[in-house]
Parts: sequence; structure tokens; C-alpha cells
Amino acid sequence: MSVSTAEGMAPDGVKETEGREPALAFKIALVILLGILCLVPFLFVLAISVGHKIEGAGWAFGFELTHYKRFLLGATWPETFQILYLQKLGYSLMFAAIGAVIAVALAFPFTYFLTRLTRRGQTVWLVLLLSSLSLSEVFIVMGWDILLSARSGLPALLDWVGFTDLMKDWGWFQWFRDIGLASPRAFKFKTSGLATVLCMSYLVWPYAVILLYPALSRLEPSLMEAARTMGARPSVVMRTVVLPSVKLPLFGSTLLLFVFLLGTYVTVTVFADPSQHTLAVSIYDSVRGSTLNAPFGAAQSVILLITAAVFLFAGQKLSNAGDRA
Amino acid sequence: MADLVLKSIRKDFGSFRAVDKVDLTFPHGKLTALLGPSGCGKTTLLRMIAGLEAPSWGQILLGDEDITDRPAYERKFGMVFQSFALFPHLTVAENIAYSLAIEGVDKRKRRARADELLDLVQMGGYGDRRIGELSGGQRQRVAIARALAQEPSVFLLDEPMSALDAKLREDMQVELRLLQQRVGITTIVVTHDQREAMTMADQIVVMSKGYTEQVGTPKEIYSKPGNSFVASFIGKANFLSGEATDGKYRVGEYLFEAPKARGFTAGSPVTLAVRPENAVINDTCACLGEEWAKTPPEERAKNVLPAEVTFVRDVGSTRDIYVKTPVGDLIVEYGAGESLPTLTIGEKVSLRLPPDELHVFPRDAEAAE
Repeated sequence: MSVSTAEGMAPDGVKETEGREPALAFKIALVILLGILCLVPFLFVLAISVGHKIEGAGWAFGFELTHYKRFLLGATWPETFQILYLQKLGYSLMFAAIGAVIAVALAFPFTYFLTRLTRRGQTVWLVLLLSSLSLSEVFIVMGWDILLSARSGLPALLDWVGFTDLMKDWGWFQWFRDIGLASPRAFKFKTSGLATVLCMSYLVWPYAVILLYPALSRLEPSLMEAARTMGARPSVVMRTVVLPSVKLPLFGSTLLLFVFLLGTYVTVTVFADPSQHTLAVSIYDSVRGSTLNAPFGAAQSVILLITAAVFLFAGQKLSNAGDRA
Repeated sequence: MADLVLKSIRKDFGSFRAVDKVDLTFPHGKLTALLGPSGCGKTTLLRMIAGLEAPSWGQILLGDEDITDRPAYERKFGMVFQSFALFPHLTVAENIAYSLAIEGVDKRKRRARADELLDLVQMGGYGDRRIGELSGGQRQRVAIARALAQEPSVFLLDEPMSALDAKLREDMQVELRLLQQRVGITTIVVTHDQREAMTMADQIVVMSKGYTEQVGTPKEIYSKPGNSFVASFIGKANFLSGEATDGKYRVGEYLFEAPKARGFTAGSPVTLAVRPENAVINDTCACLGEEWAKTPPEERAKNVLPAEVTFVRDVGSTRDIYVKTPVGDLIVEYGAGESLPTLTIGEKVSLRLPPDELHVFPRDAEAAE
């Protein structure tokens, strides 16, 4: 009885102090959690990347820059200089950039018209989009694999509708062969850069819509109407009002998807030519695959991570500059 | 130059009819206010004039030219939006010169025109500012300058003062009116503020539920309201429900004369309206005696009611006297300079509603109060 009275009589200030303690503890717990989830794995990867490879037995802690040297200059440097892994990084950047640009370019008009629909229409489309996110990369790649396969997919369809023969008659078929999109007899989309970037852009297209949706739905319709009353045709309104108004969200979305696509693995292994395999594939080969060289895999991962960070940092600087302009 | 004419305009949104049977003429060089409560169709009508909405029926003519199907970008009527709709990615001068940039006008000429218009709206030197750096009033001026840059044949403003505070709104109303008179352009302003409409307009169109209720000059609309809706929406009014009886009007057991009223057949239900400033209070009236109360209505003085003061409100420029009468509660307004006996709450007075100031309307056209 006396205890409960004492608690009941406690001044408000004491209660407030007690109230703050869990908040502080929560913050500390959050920092620790973030450290465990993000920083510790990164430090591990960093430590492995400078570790020593033991043939057939994994790796041991140490400090050597052999793996970074191998990535940047080649294993046989200074005798010879090899750019094999820089090339892989280049393919990673190229596929990710093209995939992100295609995804945003296709998502922009779709999202623009989506925001002009009724609330009900918007909800239906957004639910469809969100449900497509539940599909895994493996599942999507399988779908595109069938879609682009020579016997049952798009090449067979083009053949069936007579497009292949038409191109041959017009003499344009050789051009498709030259760019690697046709075999001597029919169109061939699998194992091509086109198939790779198309599938990559499909993977991130729903993200592009979701990223652009807030900016486009906030765009005041009266801005476009004002432009129309001043003599601007719809195409001019799009060029002079809509695009400049959302240039930062467009740039930010492209950058985010680009970084996301840097790590694409399944799509590249299925659709890209082996000579154009990206760093993500090489990392897997080193860590789990044929070469079994964890420190080299870790070094490649660190370089890929730093590349992504550099692009994000540069993007941030550019968007700040664009905002001020 | 030509008048803008609307013929039998109707607009349906699905099953909802927003505007119906609108026939209007907007005289060249005059400022017309579309006035009405929210949802009465005035903005829809303005958007149809601008070409932002297509009428479901009817014609829009500019002089003899039918522009009903002409898109907004070909009409090029300058329009100021409620939110001003200034382009945030452009500077003030670039906003103003937007229409000229689209036409491919040389950059130097565009800048010169923008500076000229900035001077017109008293914002010289603001050309290089960003829109985010401007106050509400400045944004409104830029929006006006931008709409005028293309020298439109018709200038449209959709509730242009609604985003401004009360003081600035009053100032801008006068400024906008002076500017309109200076440039002499056919102007249509949408507003729900009757004071704003009275301040600026040459002609007022009162709208309600998609229809035009009355068209006239501010004075006509105020002093000769066409129906009880207009009487209630424009200024303040006291309303009494009664019926026509042999050239007069009976409200309860009191008789009223209204010589200017239209003829009503005996027994027709009517609404009598009188402006608060037109009712007269008298504290020395025979009607206050018991004898008068016993007199049959036909023999009493017409247009007089016994009343009791219930509340007095002195707001400086006017004094509002709230009175209770046998036919309902009424408000009487006296100007600060007008003589009025000292009144106390509960005091018995008489109230005279002058016949010339009484407006009589059929009761089925009830005011949307």
C-alpha cells in the first residue's frame, strides 16, 4: 500500500525522465542493429578482400593488395596489363545504365497517365504493379526466356507473321545479323545485349513507376492548363512544363534503379553473352562458383560498392546543383 | 473588337449537370464578375470559355466567330488560376514571357516585354527572381502579367484573390480594376465574394446551381434583386413570408405596400425582402399603444411593425440593431453618421419598412440561405 502511494505521488518530472530512458535505449539499439546489419558485413568483406587465399582451403586473415591489383591491372602485371575485370565493371555499368534509362523512359508516360486516372483506376493499377513485385528475378527471367526463345517466343512469332521473310526480301535481315539479333535463318534474341537490358528494365519497371508516382501525382494540373491557355500544344506542355517540373525525380529514380541493377545476376547469366558477363557474375564465380577465390570475390564486391557509392554521391551533387539552378 | 457571347451553354459531368441554359454576353472591354456560391458552376463556365472544358451543348462566339470547338492553345485567352499556376522551374521574367517563347519570339524582345509587364504590375526589377522567393501578392501580380503577355482578346481570372489575406485582397481588387481599365481588355472574374464583385465589375452575373439568376450592373443587382436568392446572396436582407392580397401583401396580421412589385394574384405565397439599411426604427409611434393593437389590420398604418430591441452591435462604421417583431426577427442597420435614438435592450420600438424598398418575390423561388 505504501509503495503504491509513493509511486502515485511521484512528481511529473520524474515520470518524464523515466519516459526518456527507453527512447535513448531504443536509439542505441537501433544504431547497434544498423551496425550489425550493414557495417559488420561490409567490414568482413573488406577484411576478406585484403586476406590471403589458401589454395583449396578458403582464405586466412592478412593484409595484401594482390586482389585489388589483379582487378585493376591484371594478375600478371607488370609483365602484362589486363583489363578483363575493368571490362566486366564496364558491362555492369552499361547494362545497368541502359536498363535503368529504358525502365524510367517507359515508366514516365505510364505513370503520367496513371495519375490522370480516377482514384479507383489508380488503385487498381497500383495493386497490379505491387503484385508484380512479388515475382522473383528467377521467375521473371524464366518468363522472358520463354518469350524470347527461338522456337516458342518472339522469333517464332515474327517468323509466323512473315516479318522475317519480309526483312530478308528487303535485304535488311543481314543488318540484324550484324548486330547479333539474328541467326542465318531467323531472329535470335536470346544471348544478346538487347534481351539483357530489356529483362533488366522489366525487373525494375514497377519500381520506376512507384518512384515517379508521388512526383507526378503532386504535379498541379493547373500548370499544364496554364501552359495550354498560353498557346502550348500538348507536346510543348510536356517538353516545357511537365518534364522540367519532374526532372529531379526522373534523375533520382534513374540513379536509384541504376545502382539497383548493378547487382543483377540471374538476368545476365541467362541472357548476356559470356564475353559480356558483369561483375556480379564474376563475384559469384569467385565466391561460390568455379574459381573459388573468396578474397578476390570480396575485392570485386568492394570495388562494385565503391562504384555505386561514387555514382550516388555524384548524383546527389548533380541534383543539388540542378535544384539551385 | 468583339463581344464574347455564350448561347445555351450546358455542361454535364456524367449524370451531374454543372451548368445549364446559360445565355450571356460579355461586352468588349468590360469587366464581368461571375458570382455565386461554391459549386454553382461559375468556374466550369470560365473553363469552358478558356477552352479547358468542352460544353455538352451550346455555342461560344467571339464576335461572329464560333470558337466552341477551338482548343485552349488556339484561343489563347489569358487566364489567372486560383493557385496562380506559376512555373516553379522558371524565373519571374521567364514565366511572363512563356507564351512569347513558345511563339519563338527573340530572347531580347521577350525580356523587354516581361520587363514592361512587370512595370505595369508594379514589380519592376523582379524579373530574375525565382517564384519561390515571391509573396502571395507578388505571385498574383506575376500571374496577371503572364496572362497579359500574349495580349489576349479575353482575360480570365478564376478566384484570383482567394489565396490572399483580407487586407491585400482589398488592395488588389482596386489595383486589378484600375489595371483592367488601363488595358481595356474584356475581362471575366470568377468570385464567390460579393464585395469583390461589386468593387471590380461593370457587370455581375449571379449564378446558382448551374443557372444564371440575374445579370446587371452592381447597383442593379443590389438595389433591384431579381429573386430572393440574389437578395440574400448580394448584401444582407431581411425576409418575411406572406401572401398577396388585393394589391397589398399580408404577413401575419400586418399589411405591406410595395408599389414596384410585380402583380401577384390574391393568395399567391410571396417573400418580402428589405435591406437592413432601409428599415427605419421609431421610438415614438402610435403602434406601440394598446389601442393600435386592437385596430383591425386594414385600418392600421401600412408597412409598420411593433418591435422589441434584442441586441445592439456597434462595429464602428455601422450599428446593427436586432429586433424581435410579431412576424419574425429582423436586423436594422444604421450608418455611423445617421441619427438613431439611444436604444436599450428590451425597449419597445416601431419598425417601418418603406414601400419603395420592399422587394417582393414569389415564395417558391426561396433564397438559398
